[in-house]
Amino acid sequence: MKPINPHVLTPTMVRIKEAADMTGHERFFRLRLPRPLGHRPGQFVMVSVPGIGEAPISICCGPGDHDRLELLVRSAGSLTMVLQRLETGDQMGIRGPFGTGFDLADFEGRDVLFVAGGLGLAPLRSLIEPLILDRQRFGRITIISGCRTPAEELFGREMRTWARAPGIRVIRLVNDTAHLPWDGEVGLVTAPIAGLDMDPAATLAVLCGPPVMYKFVIMELAARGLAHDRIFIDLERRMRCGIGKCGHCQINHLTCCQDGPVFRLSSVESLPEALA
Amino acid sequence: MMMNKNLVMNKDYLVPLLRKLAKTHRLVAPVRNEYGDTLFTIITDLDRTEIDLDHQPQASLKPYFFPQTDTLCRYVIDCDPATGAMDYSFHVQLPQNRPTVYVGVRSCDMFAVMYTDMVFLHEHERDVYYKQRRDNAIFITIACNTPFDNCFCNATRSGPFLESGFDLQLTDLGDRWFVETGRARGAGLTEDWACFFRPADEADKRAQFQAELEARGRFKQLVHVDLASKLLAEDKVPESIFRDLSSRCQDCGGCAFICPTCTCFNITDQPRDEAGGERVRSWDACTFSGFTAMAGGHNSVDVETGRIRRRFLHKLQYDVDRHGRPSCVGCGRCVGMCFGGVDMIRFISMISEAGENGAEAGE
Repeated sequence: MKPINPHVLTPTMVRIKEAADMTGHERFFRLRLPRPLGHRPGQFVMVSVPGIGEAPISICCGPGDHDRLELLVRSAGSLTMVLQRLETGDQMGIRGPFGTGFDLADFEGRDVLFVAGGLGLAPLRSLIEPLILDRQRFGRITIISGCRTPAEELFGREMRTWARAPGIRVIRLVNDTAHLPWDGEVGLVTAPIAGLDMDPAATLAVLCGPPVMYKFVIMELAARGLAHDRIFIDLERRMRCGIGKCGHCQINHLTCCQDGPVFRLSSVESLPEALA
Repeated sequence: MMMNKNLVMNKDYLVPLLRKLAKTHRLVAPVRNEYGDTLFTIITDLDRTEIDLDHQPQASLKPYFFPQTDTLCRYVIDCDPATGAMDYSFHVQLPQNRPTVYVGVRSCDMFAVMYTDMVFLHEHERDVYYKQRRDNAIFITIACNTPFDNCFCNATRSGPFLESGFDLQLTDLGDRWFVETGRARGAGLTEDWACFFRPADEADKRAQFQAELEARGRFKQLVHVDLASKLLAEDKVPESIFRDLSSRCQDCGGCAFICPTCTCFNITDQPRDEAGGERVRSWDACTFSGFTAMAGGHNSVDVETGRIRRRFLHKLQYDVDRHGRPSCVGCGRCVGMCFGGVDMIRFISMISEAGENGAEAGE
């Protein structure tokens, strides 16, 4: 039996090394950890501000034996609103990492297609980073990232840098240029899929975005002949504990915090409410 | 393997035995209060307290192991007066471990403790707060000779008599208790206080067998729990039942709070003063409209039509898949609690009726 950890529900306070607004309502944080988390891509941490509360936030940096932790926080609720005001040198509470995340071994030698809608790019970045870092281990990489307007684009500069690496194609989209300068494409993330040079037998797709996006992207991928066990989706749920007990993130017999938040589509598509 | 022993104790010896145990243990037993409510109560003065073994305690033992609000940790805010800089820290806060004897526990409630053990001590991370309270607990259970009006533990296979889980199980034989020892601590207890017990003879065993047999014939409810699990597994439950019952739910959470096996919780911060506060977990209910609502407003559950789905499916389908048995223990408390009639018996009757009609229609 697993030894008991009395501190699993008690956060550790961590210093913010760097804080910067990425858009009008998303703030990027780089934290320095007392010791490496040893996280896997796709995992998340519970982030706290004492007196305000706690919420699950995806880790957006790649794995590795480093003391760096990067988070991108959108202002959505009472906690994330307060997080927007934190500066370099301030502290936030961290518990985790939680969830199963991605196994890099699954991606070895495969072509990988990422489809990110809005903030969905943040968790995917934790997988994109290691794939780019170890290029020869993996096949071609295609990243389709969409957002509403150019002002809301996340990691724009980074995506342009990724695009310069060999064997990587980055398609950046906005729904609407909103009269702002824009060097990418205009349209929905579903649009480029039909025209991609893609071998469905050698490709894995990884999706993260709002629930409505999944439905339409999955239809496009199915039209290209991609089997559902080759599609990974990252599901977002309300979470309180991160250890499979509080019940909030339960999807039928699964708990999103322990069995996910990354799932193969084939393992959840038949579950009511999973893709809702 | 240790054999379970069968003993007999004079009816009048129970309180003297408890008096002995109270010297080293905290006592918790059903007590009828001045309002006429029977509740599990911490007994501080055995001589001035009347233990009520005739009524079903209105609440289960759940709050003793998983309190309605429970401090997980404290947070401390240090403000440097010179610079105004804030420094925060969290400190884990564990509950006291108090050896406790729980007396007069019915089979359903004992079974519920065994289920919550599975949730808190055997699945995923082990829960230190639950464990602190659960360690050193002794259970003296009481077999139900006469099931109460809403009881259906015969259908959930969690009563009215237990075969394991208890330390001692008492069966009322009129003028005497038939005493079975279960776990090692119970056997130890009968050895430590051997003066209160005598070995059961053939007549005692026959009387106990008779009591159990008669009890099984006294249930007023006929609830098809296994059929319900089967219909759910085969996806043969009409959506209209979930819609209908969801619309009757009044968002009070009473069913989950009174349920001995509901363990969902929320975690919130409660400021105490300028210098800090507590992080607290408190009972939550999956039927609450905001239970799955995320910051920003998205909700993966359509509250109007599906809020009660999770509650019933968890108990009758997911836990059957995971543990081989439903996590409803048939105590019937939700039946008495819900004024909208959204209870386990109603749900099971509705789906078994729909299943029968479906079968007749040749589906």
